[in-house]
Amino acid sequence: MTNNLTPLQIFLADDDEDDRIFFSEAIEDIRMKNKLTLFNNGKDLMDYLLDSDASLPDILFLDLNMPYKNGLECLKEIRADNRFKDVSIAIYSTSSSEEDIENTFIEGANIYIKKPNDFSELKKVIKGVFQMNWQFHISGLNKETFFFSI
Amino acid sequence: MKFFGLYKNTQVFKIALIVAIVVIGYIASVFYTQMQKLDTSVELIASSNKTQYELEKLLSIMGNYEMSLRNYIITQNEVYLEDRFLNRGEIEACIKNLKKIAGNDSAKIKDIDSLKKLIDYRFKLFRDLLLIQKSPRKNTSELYIKLLESSSCTESMHAFVYKRINAEISKIKRYNTNHQFELNDSIISAFLLVLLSLLILLLSFNKMNVDINELKKTNDELKFTNLSFKNAEQIAGFGHWKYNLVKNTYTFSDNFYRLMGVEPRAFEPSLENVGKFLHPDDYNSVMEVHKQSLIDHQPTSIMLRYLLQDGTVKYIMSVGSFTRNSNGDLVKIGVNYDITAQYKKTLEIEESNKQLKTINAELESFNNIVSHDLQEPLRKIQMFVSRLEEKEIDLLTPNGKEYFVKIRLAANKMQTLLIDLLNYSRVAKGDKIFVKLNLKDLVEQCIQDLSVDIEEKKAEIEVMDLPEINGIGFQMEQLFVNLISNSLKYSKENIPPKISIKSEKISGKEMYNSKIISNTDYHKIVVSDNGIGFKQEYADKVFQLFKRLETDSKYTGTGIGLAICKKIMENHNGFIKVKSRPSVGTKFSLFFPK
Repeated sequence: MTNNLTPLQIFLADDDEDDRIFFSEAIEDIRMKNKLTLFNNGKDLMDYLLDSDASLPDILFLDLNMPYKNGLECLKEIRADNRFKDVSIAIYSTSSSEEDIENTFIEGANIYIKKPNDFSELKKVIKGVFQMNWQFHISGLNKETFFFSI
Repeated sequence: MKFFGLYKNTQVFKIALIVAIVVIGYIASVFYTQMQKLDTSVELIASSNKTQYELEKLLSIMGNYEMSLRNYIITQNEVYLEDRFLNRGEIEACIKNLKKIAGNDSAKIKDIDSLKKLIDYRFKLFRDLLLIQKSPRKNTSELYIKLLESSSCTESMHAFVYKRINAEISKIKRYNTNHQFELNDSIISAFLLVLLSLLILLLSFNKMNVDINELKKTNDELKFTNLSFKNAEQIAGFGHWKYNLVKNTYTFSDNFYRLMGVEPRAFEPSLENVGKFLHPDDYNSVMEVHKQSLIDHQPTSIMLRYLLQDGTVKYIMSVGSFTRNSNGDLVKIGVNYDITAQYKKTLEIEESNKQLKTINAELESFNNIVSHDLQEPLRKIQMFVSRLEEKEIDLLTPNGKEYFVKIRLAANKMQTLLIDLLNYSRVAKGDKIFVKLNLKDLVEQCIQDLSVDIEEKKAEIEVMDLPEINGIGFQMEQLFVNLISNSLKYSKENIPPKISIKSEKISGKEMYNSKIISNTDYHKIVVSDNGIGFKQEYADKVFQLFKRLETDSKYTGTGIGLAICKKIMENHNGFIKVKSRPSVGTKFSLFFPK
């Protein structure tokens, strides 16, 4: 997926302004060629995605706890639409509850990231996800590898 | 004693009585025939006596006639011929009587006929003599001849009559002896009869006495049982009732009335009267169930309410079943008992259960809020701390830098605390799905998870063979992670921790809550270390939530880890014990039910 010619299309849907800032700052610091689009909630994200002209992301970072439309609902809708079959979805949440991990795994998320407590760790996580061999990751996907840890 | 036993046996007694009655009947019939015989012999004797009397009467009449004729011949006085002389009437009456006595006896009738001929002949002689005497030419010699003839005729008549009389006398004698014998027999029979009757009477009386005493005793016992039962009913708060389906009658016990708040026998026992005490809301259903049971004869069990006259409501359990009484009548018998207290208690328990559940749910969500939602702002703090640390740290004075480090440590500590709290609430809530777990694999996995800390402390961990147990997977992991990290945390400075995890045989002296723990019921797993240890007197404290023995900032415990361990062991119906000595080490023992 990573390739130096076309910038990586990254979407982040998160209702928390601070987290959006942390995320964009971390991506800036990584200095990788990419294009980040931010959404303030799940509804905005879906409205954008369902517009047929929209350019699709390579990786979508999806917060779970959002107003109007939460992450799980977005996940279900996206996975129900064949148009988005190539979009890799990374859940990006404060929660690390078994229930949330289980549900998102079942609904077809590709990876689960617990929001780190440390900025350098956040950078490491994002870097790790960008450099991930998605093909390999998806083929060997199971519940143990689903939860992403550095 | 054996005889008494037989005596008490009514069946045997009945048979004896029947035999005795048969014997009495036999003897009575014998006695009756004897009496009958006696009667005939008395009759025979009487007829013999009568025959004698009639014969003697005949003789004396004839003698009289003879004397009158003689007197006439001698005196020539006709006076002697006047008084009934040669009156055949008297003679005929005698003959008739004799014939009547003789009855059908042909020999006797023949005798009487020959006697009659003799008498006729004698009468002829009388008349001849009278003619000779009365004729004017009296032939004396002819008279003599006739007189002689008369004498011999009289004599032969006498002889004949006496022969008859003697025969009768000897007959009487014979009859008399027979009669005497029969009389003796009859006396013996009568005596036997009286004796036997008396015996039976005595036996019956005695038996009756014995039976009555027995009955009295049984009656007393019954009375006592009845009284005890009545007391029991009152104490236990139940009453019983009977309904005879054949006679259509109800019977209620005293306490049955008391259950309805009235005096015993306050009203006629009937279904209608009881119905007045039924709660109006229950009336129809109760009556329906009861009446249906009278059709299909199935046992009933009804919970119902009484609405007493004073307005109180009683909860009653009424059970009934069918049986037959000694007359063979179908009877429904039942017991009603007061379950008001029980029912109210159940309601209370249900109510407090509900409250408990609400409180529990509240606690859970509170715990969730505390551990989960608090993590959000905390994470922000930590993030901004790390941002500042990266970018702005150089702008601070040395004092400021020191405060900054302390902020970071405090925030990190808070994070651990929140994670531990979350774990504790997860364990307490417990999705309890038990599976077979290979403890050795599980412990190896825990060690893997803790590898960073283990390497940092240069700890040596020894895992021996461990049994398979039934457990909740994530809780078991939590348990061993907590115990191992506990050992790592409270290790001695500059001495690499040595931790051993092994299975041990339970010695006979193992006790928990004054219960003996045996090897057959439990697995024992020991986690021991060479850490700083603690005084044994604090053994119970270490398992309490938020109780910490070491408050030195170099030990980073939250006071939750071991509380979680205890909770997990409780979830597994096991328990945890600890033995420790300061600066020697600590040994945790885990007991899992087999």
